[in-house]
Amino acid sequence: MAHLVRFSTLLAVLAIAACSAPSAAPTSVAKPTTAATAASTAAFNGNFDGTLVFGAPVSLTGSTAKEGGLTRDGYDLWRDTYNANGGININGKHYKIETKYYDDASDAQQSATLTDKLINEDKVNFLLGPYGTAPTLQDSTVAEKNKMPMIEGNGAAESIFSQGYKYTFGVLAPAQNYLRGVIDLVVTLDPKPQSVAVLSADDPFSVEVADAVRTYAEQKGMQVVYYQKYPNASTDLRAPLTEAKAKNPDLLLNSGHLQESLAIMQQSKELGFNPKGFGFSVGPGTPDFQTTLQNDANYVLGGTQWTPSLKYNGDDLFKTPENYNTLFKQKFGYEPAYQSADGTAAGVAFVKAIESAGSTDPAKVRDAIAALNFTSFYGVIKFDSRGINVDKPMAVEQWQSGRRVTVWPADVAEAKALWPFPGFGSH
Amino acid sequence: MNGLLQGCILALVGLGFSLVWGILNIVNLAHAALIMIAAYLTYFLWSLVGLDPFVSLPLSMAVLFGIGYVLQRCVINLVMGASILTTFLLTFGIEALFVNLFLRWFSADTRQTKPIYANVSLNLGPLYLPYTQLGAVIVALVLTYLLYVFLDRTRTGSSIRAVGQDRIAARLMGINIAQTYALTFGIGAALAAASGTLLSATSGFAPNAFSAFNVLAFSVVVLGGLGSIPGVLLGGLVFGLVYEFSGTYVLAQRDVVIFAILILVLVLRPTGLLGREGYR
Repeated sequence: MAHLVRFSTLLAVLAIAACSAPSAAPTSVAKPTTAATAASTAAFNGNFDGTLVFGAPVSLTGSTAKEGGLTRDGYDLWRDTYNANGGININGKHYKIETKYYDDASDAQQSATLTDKLINEDKVNFLLGPYGTAPTLQDSTVAEKNKMPMIEGNGAAESIFSQGYKYTFGVLAPAQNYLRGVIDLVVTLDPKPQSVAVLSADDPFSVEVADAVRTYAEQKGMQVVYYQKYPNASTDLRAPLTEAKAKNPDLLLNSGHLQESLAIMQQSKELGFNPKGFGFSVGPGTPDFQTTLQNDANYVLGGTQWTPSLKYNGDDLFKTPENYNTLFKQKFGYEPAYQSADGTAAGVAFVKAIESAGSTDPAKVRDAIAALNFTSFYGVIKFDSRGINVDKPMAVEQWQSGRRVTVWPADVAEAKALWPFPGFGSH
Repeated sequence: MNGLLQGCILALVGLGFSLVWGILNIVNLAHAALIMIAAYLTYFLWSLVGLDPFVSLPLSMAVLFGIGYVLQRCVINLVMGASILTTFLLTFGIEALFVNLFLRWFSADTRQTKPIYANVSLNLGPLYLPYTQLGAVIVALVLTYLLYVFLDRTRTGSSIRAVGQDRIAARLMGINIAQTYALTFGIGAALAAASGTLLSATSGFAPNAFSAFNVLAFSVVVLGGLGSIPGVLLGGLVFGLVYEFSGTYVLAQRDVVIFAILILVLVLRPTGLLGREGYR
């Protein structure tokens, strides 16, 4: 009897395990969207002439599970919005967009293996990118080897594009621009900050961002009084924060990841470290930043690829950031983060390129991507010879009374930046 | 000073891990998952019912004791005495199962148990001592002491140690082995619950934020010495101090420093700093 009980418990455990396995199958449900243009629906009778499969390894578990999920939601919104409006139009024929995802568990090697599988086993037509610089770097090599065009929206390090590859394109602004906007903003504020401390996670992308902003801050006349790298995914940053505090900087900048940005805010509070401002490359753009820190999120600045309040008028189905915001909230019930917009923009660029190539031939599509030059809801998309969307600027957001508002560039800002930070506990 | 506070919490993370390893001879890779379950339990008790984490601590320890007891009795007991690889595989599987279930149920959103004193510090001149950490240190020290007394002074404690030393002899003395194993695993899980409760109030967490604690617990126990409760405490404190001081010189290579120390200790003193036969 005891054995029977144990055996059935084991069975139950296994059954739960089987049920919880993430499904890799395409889950396309085309929903009609009210805000989409009427012109493109006119010629479409509801029947597709074919299917194009876009494959992507995305991190649904592991250290970047959150960001990977946001990326996937961006791809899903792109797929469903375009499918509801006739999919991809190649010389009058309508092709349905399908997506195929695998979970790369935030592991770059795994991501590369899955990319290979997507290309050679699943025979996808095109590749979308994974989340993060390290997996993108690995996947780009596989894409290049197989001459498979990949447009990615979530790997920004220039190292991805300095390999001389021809098939990888990134829609986001390059790493060196990530924290530049924060510097551009703060030097216009009163009192003008004189000194800055920079903390960076020790991974290629974060270091690239940190090095670029360090140089840029000096160019703008600020003194870099502290610069420190810490191990990736550190949750205890009290030691470098104590050192930074001793240098009494006006501004603390961090180039890293969400968990580290939370740790920095919490531990700065614990340590009574109150600079005039905090700026992060990653963190404040995610809703979790505010839900976790609550009032302590206020005044914090964050560089961002995209915000719903930017004023672009795009030549794509989403048209404006505002409309994108509406569609996204309708579908998912939460505010879009820039990681999702990055993903959607990669898909939009693919549609433009395939339609202008008039073909699904990878080489022809690749050339069409390289020749793209249009404005989308996401901003300008135009690649240089390395595949970087060089002209794309970064915006700066600030949490103000629990709301995330765009405060830079000045011409599209929703509100003036609040400055200086009054200190923890006094707001 | 912050290193010492952090070290006490690390010691608590290592304590349950050390007990299970010492007595059951299982390197419990599901330890981090038990910490995670307690962290979520604490979070929901706080956000839905308004229970302070220090108040809900005994409750989550009791719940996790139950989960640990059942888990050992019904699942892990099936592989007792099997090769280490089998227990590795099973506990690793349990870990993956729970983490992914939690990802599915609660998503990868970051949460934090945030009572009003969260991330607020007691300021003594140049020292800033976060209240949560101070409370955590007291809890860690009290639980360590209680475990020591329990194993050393009580009948049940003696039988647990006896099973750890020689299970055949213990069985001949009339000790119910299966029950003792389940009890030990339950206590290990309850100790994991205590650290999970405290961690949920010191920083933001998501289901996948805990797996690093398996490696940490393992390292703390190996450094301090298997089979020794004071050893776990010492191991935790050494880790905390290395974390703090490497920040001044070689922060990015912090892990290099820690594992270099670990290797050095293992070469010079293979049993760890305070390791010994048996368990006390």
